[in-house]
Amino acid sequence: MNETVLVVSDLEAGYEPGVPIVRGASITVNKGEIVVVLGPNGAGKSSLIKAVAGLVPISRGKVLLDGQDITAAPAHIMIRLGLAFVPQTENVFPRMSVEDNLKVACGILERRLAPARIEEMYAAFPDLLRQRRTRAGNLSGGQRQMLAVARALIVHPKVLVLDEPSAGLSPKFVSMVFEMLSDIRKSGVTILLVEQNAKAALAIGDRAYVLVEGKERHEAAASTLWDDPVIAELYLGQRPLRKDSARHTETGGAA
Amino acid sequence: MSLQFVVDGLLTGSMIGLGAIGVTLTYSILRFSNFAHGDFMAWGTYATLTVVGAIAAMFGKVAPIAPLSFGWPLIVALVVGAAFTALLALLLDKVLFSRLRKQEQAIIAVMGSFGASMALRSLLEFIFTSRPTYFSRAIQIAMPVGFGIRITPDQIALLILTAALVLAVHLLTTRTQTGRSMQAMSQNPALARIAGIDVASVVRVTWVIGAALACVAGVMIGVLVQIRPLMGFDMLLPMFAAAILGGIGSIPGAVLGGLIIGLAEAGAVQLIGAEWRAAVSFIILMAVLIVRPIGLFGVRER
Ligand SMILES: Nc1ncnc2c1ncn2[C@@H]1O[C@H](COP(=O)(O)OP(=O)(O)OP(=O)(O)O)[C@@H](O)[C@H]1O
Ligand SMILES: [Mg+2]
Repeated sequence: MNETVLVVSDLEAGYEPGVPIVRGASITVNKGEIVVVLGPNGAGKSSLIKAVAGLVPISRGKVLLDGQDITAAPAHIMIRLGLAFVPQTENVFPRMSVEDNLKVACGILERRLAPARIEEMYAAFPDLLRQRRTRAGNLSGGQRQMLAVARALIVHPKVLVLDEPSAGLSPKFVSMVFEMLSDIRKSGVTILLVEQNAKAALAIGDRAYVLVEGKERHEAAASTLWDDPVIAELYLGQRPLRKDSARHTETGGAA
Repeated sequence: MSLQFVVDGLLTGSMIGLGAIGVTLTYSILRFSNFAHGDFMAWGTYATLTVVGAIAAMFGKVAPIAPLSFGWPLIVALVVGAAFTALLALLLDKVLFSRLRKQEQAIIAVMGSFGASMALRSLLEFIFTSRPTYFSRAIQIAMPVGFGIRITPDQIALLILTAALVLAVHLLTTRTQTGRSMQAMSQNPALARIAGIDVASVVRVTWVIGAALACVAGVMIGVLVQIRPLMGFDMLLPMFAAAILGGIGSIPGAVLGGLIIGLAEAGAVQLIGAEWRAAVSFIILMAVLIVRPIGLFGVRER
């Protein structure tokens, strides 16, 4: 245990030079863990993991994957190094079939391995098998999220990084997505997850960070964070945290 | 009424369609309208002509492959010319387009391509003068094939070549990993990178395919009509019309659009009068876009 897979140290990153959005954030993800990053809107959660995935310029700090320095490797190299990223929106190729979406992702695998990997993904996500000829743009929100995750998993990444996989989904699909992530972790994949749906994310997570203004301000075991008063202060300003329906409004009704 | 315009239209349409493939690929993958595409055609044709001349200097007069008007030198020269055109496109991308494409506004790259177009054309006129020239001055006998239609062996050969190239490019883009990467780039460049696609190599493949086909289209014009520095520029509007008519990004659409415009132009010349040639294709284009703004094979974004 406690073998680290991903180390982000003192990371500063932003879209324009001199305007850092991520301001010295440090997080660690251990092998087999689900680590959740929480934080208010605009805290820089998406920017942080996009910087880790090579999509936002980094001005300071380091990202290590399995001890290897991958800071600012180009995005198309990241997946080869073992870091798979699933963006929040536009995370499938809408005018390609489900199968072609998976085939595109197999581009970095040895050619002869691809068909077997695609079959394995169909076995893990039977919905995708049923819809293999459907255009990805015509899938339901939950199925699209499955395809996005399958696309990332198909190359056996060391760590799976997801940006709000439950955003915009109906409650039925939200619980489905979190179950899926829990199963993926059981199969041995390490997960770093940004979520607005704090309650559901903490329920499947091991540890969590609260990111405020581009810097992690609190770290705790997922099981204790929910009841920790400090989170209410950091996360929601001074507002008390409503346990049963937290973040309800922000996620468009997702529970 | 003679149906001869069908043959003429299919031939013109083939030239337009082959050119439009490059236009539609550049637009959907590199995200700008390349106004220099027509000049790739002209440069490819002159490169081919130059190689034909070099071969003639080395091997003397080579007998044509009966019943065609040309022999193996033109075929070899076409391959060399297509490779040259591809290199020209890659070079231009390196020194010019790649920089302009980084700008936020696509209009910058478009205007850059306009400038490149004028420079390329002037350079051709400077080197080869603007006097028309020909691959062969031999007159071919057109064979009657019924319905009042006559067709020459060259025309048949070039129609077959067009069909074969279109099929090859279609299979490449739909059935191979390279083609899927190109589709991925056109649909979502950021996600394409995340999925491990090397954007730079997709950009190169796009230029190579577009430029090589432009060269073939230019040589077709050279064989069937004549060679002039302005030959490509004159094709620019029909090529864009074909790409838009077919639905931008669609290769079958670009070819079908080319054929429709070619047939419409030829039909208009025969039925209404030559002065309507250019107008008719645009009337069709506008009519289609009013009924179906995304073009024939276009796909709505979701
Ligand atoms: N592409 C971009 N270009 C410039 N600025 C951006 C870009 N994306 C985000 N920002 C800025 O970065 C800041 C942080 O945004 P980010 O999306 O990382 O926050 P977040 O924590 O993910 O928020 P949310 O919970 O709403 O998803 C915001 O102020 C935003 O305006
Ligand atoms: Mg976000």
